This record gives sequence, C-alpha cells and structure tokens, in this order.
Amino acid sequence: MLERIEHHQRVRRILIAVGLLVLALVTAAGMTFIGFRLANLVREFPGFIESIWDFMPPNFVDFTLYSKEHYQYGQVAKLEDFYQPILMSFSNPSTFWTSIVEQEGLIGLSVITIAIGFCGTVLGFPLALIFGVLGSERVTPFPFNFLFRGAMSTIRAIPALVWVLVYIPLTGLGPVGALMAVATDTVGNLGRLFTDELEEIDDGPIEAVGSTGASGSQRVFFGMLSQVFTSFIAWTLYILEINVRIAVSLGVVGAGGIGQYINNRFFGFLEFSRGMAGILMVIVIVLSVEMVSSRLRARLRPSEHEQMTFFDHLKDLLTTSKWLGTGSGKRD
Amino acid sequence: MPAVSVENLTKVYGEDTVALDDVSFEVEDGEFLVVLGPSGAGKSTLLRILNGLTTPTEGRVEVGDEEITGRRSDIAMVFQLHYVIESLSAYRNALTGALSRASLLESLLTWYDEPDKRMALRALDTVGLLEAAEQRTGSMSGGQKQRVGIARALVQDPNLLLADEPVASLDPKAANQVMGYMRSAAKERDLTTIASLHQVNIAREFGDRFIGIRDGEVVFDGDHDDLTMDAVDEIYYESEEDAEGVLEA
Repeated sequence: MLERIEHHQRVRRILIAVGLLVLALVTAAGMTFIGFRLANLVREFPGFIESIWDFMPPNFVDFTLYSKEHYQYGQVAKLEDFYQPILMSFSNPSTFWTSIVEQEGLIGLSVITIAIGFCGTVLGFPLALIFGVLGSERVTPFPFNFLFRGAMSTIRAIPALVWVLVYIPLTGLGPVGALMAVATDTVGNLGRLFTDELEEIDDGPIEAVGSTGASGSQRVFFGMLSQVFTSFIAWTLYILEINVRIAVSLGVVGAGGIGQYINNRFFGFLEFSRGMAGILMVIVIVLSVEMVSSRLRARLRPSEHEQMTFFDHLKDLLTTSKWLGTGSGKRD
Repeated sequence: MPAVSVENLTKVYGEDTVALDDVSFEVEDGEFLVVLGPSGAGKSTLLRILNGLTTPTEGRVEVGDEEITGRRSDIAMVFQLHYVIESLSAYRNALTGALSRASLLESLLTWYDEPDKRMALRALDTVGLLEAAEQRTGSMSGGQKQRVGIARALVQDPNLLLADEPVASLDPKAANQVMGYMRSAAKERDLTTIASLHQVNIAREFGDRFIGIRDGEVVFDGDHDDLTMDAVDEIYYESEEDAEGVLEA
C-alpha cells in the first residue's frame, strides 16, 4: 500500500517537473521569437534611467487654464515647475471651473477621460443587463441563450482600442467615439459577468416568488435579480474602474482626454516633463476612481451599514482609516 | 363541503420511486392540519402537489371546489428556508405576496394598491414585525425571516396556507414562536392550513388534526387524543423492534 502511494507521488512529482520544464521552454521560445535579449536590456538600462531622469521634475504648467496662461518656465527644468502651477491654480480656484468648461489643461482633460469612462459604463449597463439576463439558461432556454452569449463573446473579442477605430465613420476619432467604444466593450464584459453571476443563484427564492402567482418577468426581477442585485452593482463599479483606464488608453490613440495629452507631449512635441505631469494625473484619476469604487462596494456589504442614515454614509466616506485600509472595517 | 379534498393521489418519480401511494383525505374549512412523517415519507411531495409545483401521476386535488392544475395565487406557501429577498425590507418582502395583483412596473416601484399596502402592514403586525417593517431582511434572524415568509403568504390573501417544514432550520424557541404566529394568523383569518413538521411535540402543540405519512401512505389520521406514543411509533417506525431499538439507543 505504502509503496503504491509513494509510487503515485513519484509519478506526480515527475509530471509536475516535466510540466514546468515545458512551460519554461515554450516561454523561452516565445521570447526569442519576439526578439527578447536580456543582454540588450542590461546594456540599455542606464540610458533608460537617464531618460526617465530627464522627465523630472514633472512640469504642471498645463494644470489649469490659469497656470497655462500665467506660469513662465525656463529651458532648464526646476522643482518649481512641479508645484508652482498647482499652487497658483489653487489660489485662483475659479480656474478649475473654467478649465473644465473649456476642456483645457490637465484638469479639463482629466474630466473628459473620467466622463468617457463613467458615461460609457452607464450607457453600456442597460444592454449588458439585457444581454446578461437573456444569456442565462435560467431565463432563455438552451440553445437560444447562446444567441446572446455569442453576441457578448463577439463584442469581447474586439478590444475597445479597435472599437474606437470601427466607430470612426460614425463619430470621427474623438471623445464621442471613445464613449461608444467603452459602452460597447461594457456590454460584452459586464454582460458576461452578469450571466455568470446568474448561473450561481438559488432556485428557492425563484420558486417562492413563483408560488405567489407572480408573472414571468416578476419572477426574473424579484426571484432572480434580487439575489444578485448587490453583486451586479459591485461588478459594474469594477468595470467602471477598468473603463476609466480604457478611456486613458483610447486617448493615447487620439480619442481625446488625458491620454491624448500624454501622447502629444511624448511623441508630438517631445516635452517629456510635461508628459510626465500627464502620467501623474492619470495615476491620480485611476486611484481616485478605484478608491471611490471600492468604498462604494464596501458599502454594499450588508452587515456593515445597517440602520445608517445618509449623513452617516457621507461621514463614513470621509473616514481616512477606511480609505487607507488601516481600520478594522468590520463591526461584528 | 371540505376546503381541501385529496383523492387517490399517487406520485411516482422516474420508473419506480413511489413518493405517494393512493393518498386520500379531506380538510375542513379553517382547520390546522399537520402532516407528520419521517424524512422521505412523501410530505414535501404532497405539499408541492397541493401548491401546483408538482403534477401528480394519478389522482386529483381540489381546493375551494376547483381542481389544482398549476400554480394558484390563492394558495400560499411558507418554505423551509423562508426564501425571502434579503436585499429588501420586511415590508417590501411582505408585499411580494401581492405580485399577482400588480404589474411589473407597479411592483418594481412599490406602487401597489392601498388595500395591498394595508394588508402587508397587517400581516407584519400579525407576525409581530410591524416595528421592523423597514428593516432589511438580510440582517434579521432565521426566525424573523420565516415570520416575514408567513407575512408574504398572508398578503396573498389565500384560501389555503401550506407550510413545508417551516421550523426545521430553527432553534426550539424560535420554532415555537414561528408556529405560534402561524397558528394565530390562521385562526385570526379562519384560514385552512396544512403544515408538514418533523417535531411531534411542536405538532401536538399547534395542530388541530394530524395525518401521518410513511413510505407514501397515510398511516395515521386523528386529533390530539388519537396522537398517542404508540401512534407516533406507528408513523415513524416500520415495526415495534425498530421503535424499541431507537429508544434503547
């Protein structure tokens, strides 16, 4: 008996070793195929660090319309270029509003990017919900549910970066096309998550709602969707985070917003320190959206916020320990 | 005229799994009938047929002079695992009992008719949850959720209330409380009730009449006085040796 167990274990170990070896060989072959040479990277690394150093300090002259018009910077980069435009913008706060309205400066462009991500998610949500629900075998009998699953798979097969090109004849290359691309991408991704979530639900509540004499659509809403309501919202917030990142990358290919600013600085005008300021803005945008989204998702966890008023919720959003993850988070 | 009439009911699953075998009985108007029997005796199948969730292989069931051929909104069911909607308040859960009287939009926006809203509050009051009407059921205890399940059933304004092992997953104190609320709700409304139960002591405390089912057949039908220890043994154990063996163990 012991011999048999040990033999099986030996065979398993050999198989794992062979598997890892094959994985390493395939990866090495792939890297050689695309021309990866470690020696090249090592040789170029000091140059890389030097050029990154050249981007520093980031130049925030384009932070707002006000800083753009009033801040003078010289040929030689200095630390003031980083904070002075920001400080002078804050000393003249109305410039934030005008920058947003005029869609100018890093602030205005960031709002465009956030708007593309947010509105794209909102526009994509209803179709994602319809496709996601109809793609579930519990609602649409097999094989008809595959019509909707297939549609979502096809949408997913095409990345948002390609969708924005597809929409050029309809909208041109700009924020509107980016919005359409994000919305389309949302239908494929969010819809798929909805379908998967619906496959996991209990039959009991559906039967219970059905036993009250509810109609088919009431059974879908009260028996099925009520079970997954909070996870649907949580998934939507997660997709919103991803969509804001997609909106940045769509800007890089010319669809507007902060991504386009970065592209123009690096490749158009070779103003690397100003491009670096754009990258820092992206980090701020993405982290902010992630923090708000994860706080909202935490709010959806039931036990944590029973009997809380609206003001309690607002107060809770300002609790820094929760933002930073240093608080206990859970009450019970 | 009986409120419920079950005639020669037989249910066979697959080729030869007999869940119910020629079951017949009648239930009087306003009667609280408890169906007793060991696990797998056929209690749940009987209740599912009464609720129109399962079709019998043979026989028929009439409720209120009308044969059951499918789900009917005048027959309400309380489930073992309550199956309330945990993301909604107790009030909105109770209102789901009125779904058949509202359109999809009305039900989604809680635009139920005034009498339905009043009925939901009265049902919550009956099960002692009026004060907790706006509380999310997700944060309630098992017993409270089951009481919300009863309220939902009452809002259906049913002619027959069915309960499939309604207290099987509750501790004894909560079980007694839930059964007490169910009985008083039924008596208050003169509502015919059929509940299946495991626990003989709870059944004895709350039932008017008892039916014992074993291996799909009715082996007992009587009231409190008839439900002696011997009768319970008869329902739960195939032979005297079985019963003695269990008692000794």
